[in-house]
Order: sequence, then structure tokens, then C-alpha cells
Amino acid sequence: FVYARPPPWSDTLPTIFVITPTYTRPVQKAELTRLANTFLHVQNLHWVVVEDSPRRTNLVSNLLEKAGLNFTHLNVETPKSLKLGLSWIPSHTPRGTLQRNLGLHWLRDSFSNTAPPEGVVYFADDDNTYSLELFEEMRYTRRVSVWPVAFVGGLRYESPKVSPAGKVVGWKTVFDPNRPFAIDMAGFAISIKLILEKPHASFKLEGVKGGYQETSLLKDLVTMDGLEPKAANCTKVLVWHTRTERPTLVNEGKRGFTDPRVEV
Amino acid sequence: NEELWVQSVLEMPKRRDILAIVLIVLPWTLLITVWHQSTIAPLLAVHKDDGGDSQRDLAAGLDSKEYCLSDRDIVEVVRTEYVYTRPPPWSDTLPTIHVITPTYSRPVQKAELTRLANTLLHVPNLHWILVEDSQRRTPLITRLLRDTGLNYTHLNVETPRNYKLRGDMRDPRIPRGTMQRNLALRWLRETFNKNNSQPGIVYFADDDNTYSLELFEEMRSTRKVSVWPVAFVGGLRYESPKVNSAGKVYGWKTVFDPHRPFAIDMAGFAVNLRLILQRSQAYFKLRGVKGGYQESSLLRELVTLNDLEPKAANCTKILVWHTRTEKPVLVNEGKKGFTDPNVEI
Repeated sequence: FVYARPPPWSDTLPTIFVITPTYTRPVQKAELTRLANTFLHVQNLHWVVVEDSPRRTNLVSNLLEKAGLNFTHLNVETPKSLKLGLSWIPSHTPRGTLQRNLGLHWLRDSFSNTAPPEGVVYFADDDNTYSLELFEEMRYTRRVSVWPVAFVGGLRYESPKVSPAGKVVGWKTVFDPNRPFAIDMAGFAISIKLILEKPHASFKLEGVKGGYQETSLLKDLVTMDGLEPKAANCTKVLVWHTRTERPTLVNEGKRGFTDPRVEV
Repeated sequence: NEELWVQSVLEMPKRRDILAIVLIVLPWTLLITVWHQSTIAPLLAVHKDDGGDSQRDLAAGLDSKEYCLSDRDIVEVVRTEYVYTRPPPWSDTLPTIHVITPTYSRPVQKAELTRLANTLLHVPNLHWILVEDSQRRTPLITRLLRDTGLNYTHLNVETPRNYKLRGDMRDPRIPRGTMQRNLALRWLRETFNKNNSQPGIVYFADDDNTYSLELFEEMRSTRKVSVWPVAFVGGLRYESPKVNSAGKVYGWKTVFDPHRPFAIDMAGFAVNLRLILQRSQAYFKLRGVKGGYQESSLLRELVTLNDLEPKAANCTKILVWHTRTEKPVLVNEGKKGFTDPNVEI
């Protein structure tokens, strides 16, 4: 017996396409490493990593090669004029938008609408935490499925409101619960079929109010009553919007103390 | 002429008959030979070793190589099965890695332990010793450990209140996690006999750091104490042992107090279980430990600088990162709490 990771590909399971935007900073390799360690347990997962950079970097290329995951490595640089500025500017491009859109574009280029593969698209940021159970919940999404997310909106978790009939009827949030889709990026998955059916649905690039990015995509795909609640009718938390502290590098000083050729 | 003609007419059908017979019989012969060989192979017994506690909930991929000799010789089948189980099947030959993780209740606890478990679930022969800083073992941890499928031991000991750190302020008098790590060391000494030869390695893994899978394989060959670089400690990209051309550790590449006996982070070393059992009085010092000296307080009772084994390509590669997780903003919970407290996060 030889231990295999990831699990062997199955011809019958729907594929989970995970789109992760990423950017260079000290903790990048650590984040992608622990994320990969989670994905390596999930059967039929295809990781679409999209760097915010003018070129695909060696760090990410090497990491993806070594991990053993099924992957696609893309890149697109957010122009400086669109990069996230001061928080009081009302209209800006949230980080990761161009990268997620490129991921969607790659899917539409790679698969035909007439013979769509069985599968879902999920947007997974590189600093969040995902349980293995989450991926099995999203795998059989017919249109768009939703579930609670921890540590967003200034709460322990935000969650869709689910009626006794099992339909989504609203949003349990404090911040702007009347948004068409008051849900975090990590709180929904979309079937590939739907992505291919609606080739013009993308995240809006500019003029998006804070908290409306998800809505800018979902409004072109589905209505609230078409949503499929997962995670035991949205009563379980299977994903956490964790954030990693920026490491203190004060002792590097002006000239740098550590060897810059050693990759961190 | 007629005779000749009759003779040749009689001969031709004979040749045609032979040809016809050959053309009909040959395909059947081939068919039967192939069928015979392909049905023999699966009938040979392939012994399956049940991996004990591991969850075999996913299908195995088959990569079968059949070495078939002629059908007179013994047909031998070698089947390499690529099996994914979570965790990997226990091996009789690999030393066990005992990972000691102190943990405490706070909002991100479950998230941290979930992603740590997801990493540990890839490592063969791993035994997770999780020690809660609490009065009682909590249901959250009890359930989480059981649901992972990992080989584990669940302990707890509460750090007395006057020693506890207030909020995020680092109190250098008693580093967090000390009593918990010491309890795990005591448990190991009570559980394993120093005379028995169960090979093992002890590693201290905090619940918010990030570990590569390669790191665990590097530490598995530890004879006494092995060391390697750690990212994001000491105000640097990484701190590292200094290794000379003979492969011996002779110092520490740090800015903060490089003259400590062991200027190394908790995540930067592993100890052979045998050594832990032999030096049964070696513990982390509880009180009066200067900041940055906790690791030294244990290691100086176990090993000298000279005996350290450098790993990670003679300490040139980073295989572990001292990441820290932000405290989540829960301001919208308000005074009475907005979310359902029965929903576990």
C-alpha cells in the first residue's frame, strides 16, 4: 500500500474548482502551504490560483508543483490606480476582484456550455480556514448554495435565514442585512453549469460599495428563493474568516539581517 | 486430361478446406487463450492489511501491474494500490511523532485546531497530545478530536489565575503554555517505559503556527535533539541555527540575544522520546524565566550545543512559520449577543 495524496480522482464525483486570489507578502507561502494541506484531503478538487502579479512567481509555481494537487496557475496584476487605497474612499475595487474574474474567465474558456462538467466553483481566500466537511456540502450544488461564515460582519458568524420549508428568506447580519446577498465570499458556491450558462456574470470592478461585491456577481446568477441552504439548514459553521497578523520584521533593519535567497 | 482435371478439382477443395478450418479455429484458439489468462489473475489472493483506526471512507485507486509469464509458468500479480486514508495507515517501522499542543478557549480556537488537524492528518504515525488550559476537558475539543480520526491523547491543566496573561499582554514571568507542555511530558514519562524500545520523537507545536509536511519527515530521524530554522520569530524573516561546514551547530543567527544557550523558538526543535524518558526531571521552568529563555530552560537539561542535529538541508530551508492569527472583531455582537450562542464556532 502506498499512501496517496490527494485522494485518487473519481470519474463520478463532481469537481470542486477552488479559485484563490493571492499576492506576495511575507506570510504568503505559509498561507498557501496550510491551505494546500487542507485541499490535499478533498477528492476531485481543482485549485485555480491567481496571483496578483505581472508574472507567475517561482514561489507559487514551485509550491503548486510540489504539493501534488490538480491545479491551474494564472496571474493578472491589479493596476495601481485600482489597488485598495484608504478605507474612507467609498468606491474602490476590493482586493482579489480581477483575479477572481480571471478565474471565471478561465473556466468559461476551458469548458463548453453545451457539455458542462459536473461541478461547482468556490472562492477561497488564502487566509481563511476551511473544514473538510464544507467541501462535501458544496459538491452537489444545483445552482447556488449558501451557508454560515464565522468572523465576518463584526459577528461570531453571519448566516442566511432559512424558513421551516428550507428556503432562504433573508440574512442574519447586523451590517446592512438588506443587501440582496448579505453573504461573505466564503459563504456560497456556484454550479459550473450556471457559470457557463451566464457568461457575462462577473464581479463588478468599480463603484462597488463595501459589502456588495458578492451581490455584484450573484444578482446575475440567482434570486434569493433559488438559493440552496447547506450545513444543516445553515445551523453549522464550517468555514472561518480568519486573518493572519502581519509579522514583525523590525530586526531585519535597513540592510536586512537574514539571507534574502532563503525563501520564506 | 480428364483424369488430371478431376484430380486437381479433388485436390483444390482439400486445400481450401484446410484453409477454412484454420481460419475458423485460429480465432477461437486465441480467444480461449486470452480469456484463460485474464481470469486466472484476479483469483490469486491479495492480502489486505487493515489500517486499524484509519478512516477508509474513500475509494482506492488501482494501479495494477500484472506480470504474466507464459501460461505454463506461475502467474504472478503485483498490485500497487494507491490508497488515501485519513490519517495514513500506521506503520510498524516509522518512529512515532508525539506532537504536544497546548491550547486555550478563545473565538478562533476551533478554526486553529481544524486547520492544524488537516495538516497532521497527512503525517503517518503521528500521536497528537492536546493539552487544554482549562479546569475541565471541554466538549468542543472532545468532539473535534474524535471527529478528526487522529491518534490522540486529550489532557488538561489550568494555569493558576495569578500567573495567567492578561489579554494580549505578554507577561514574561510565565510564558503561556508552560504548564500544559510540562503535563504532556509527564504523561509521556508515565506512559512509556524508558527500557522499552518504542521509538518516538517529541515536538511542541502551537496551535496557530504553520507546518509543512516535509518538516515531520525531517524530525523523524532525530537521535537526540534536532534543530532547524523558524520563520517570523525574533523580529526577523526567520531565525536559524548556525551550522559549520562539518555539519555541527556552533551558534545562532538571531538579532535578539544570540548568546542564549539555545536561541531557538519552540517550533524549531524536536527531542527523541528516549532522551525525554532518560532525563525524567527535565521540564520547562515555570517561574523566573527571562523572555526568550523558555526553550533553553528545557534544552540545557537534555543536550549540549555540540550534540544538536541540524535538519532542513543543514538549516537552509524554512519548513515552519510562526504565524499569528488576528483577534476577530466581534463588535456587532453588542451587549446581549446577536448570534445564537448554541452555534459553535
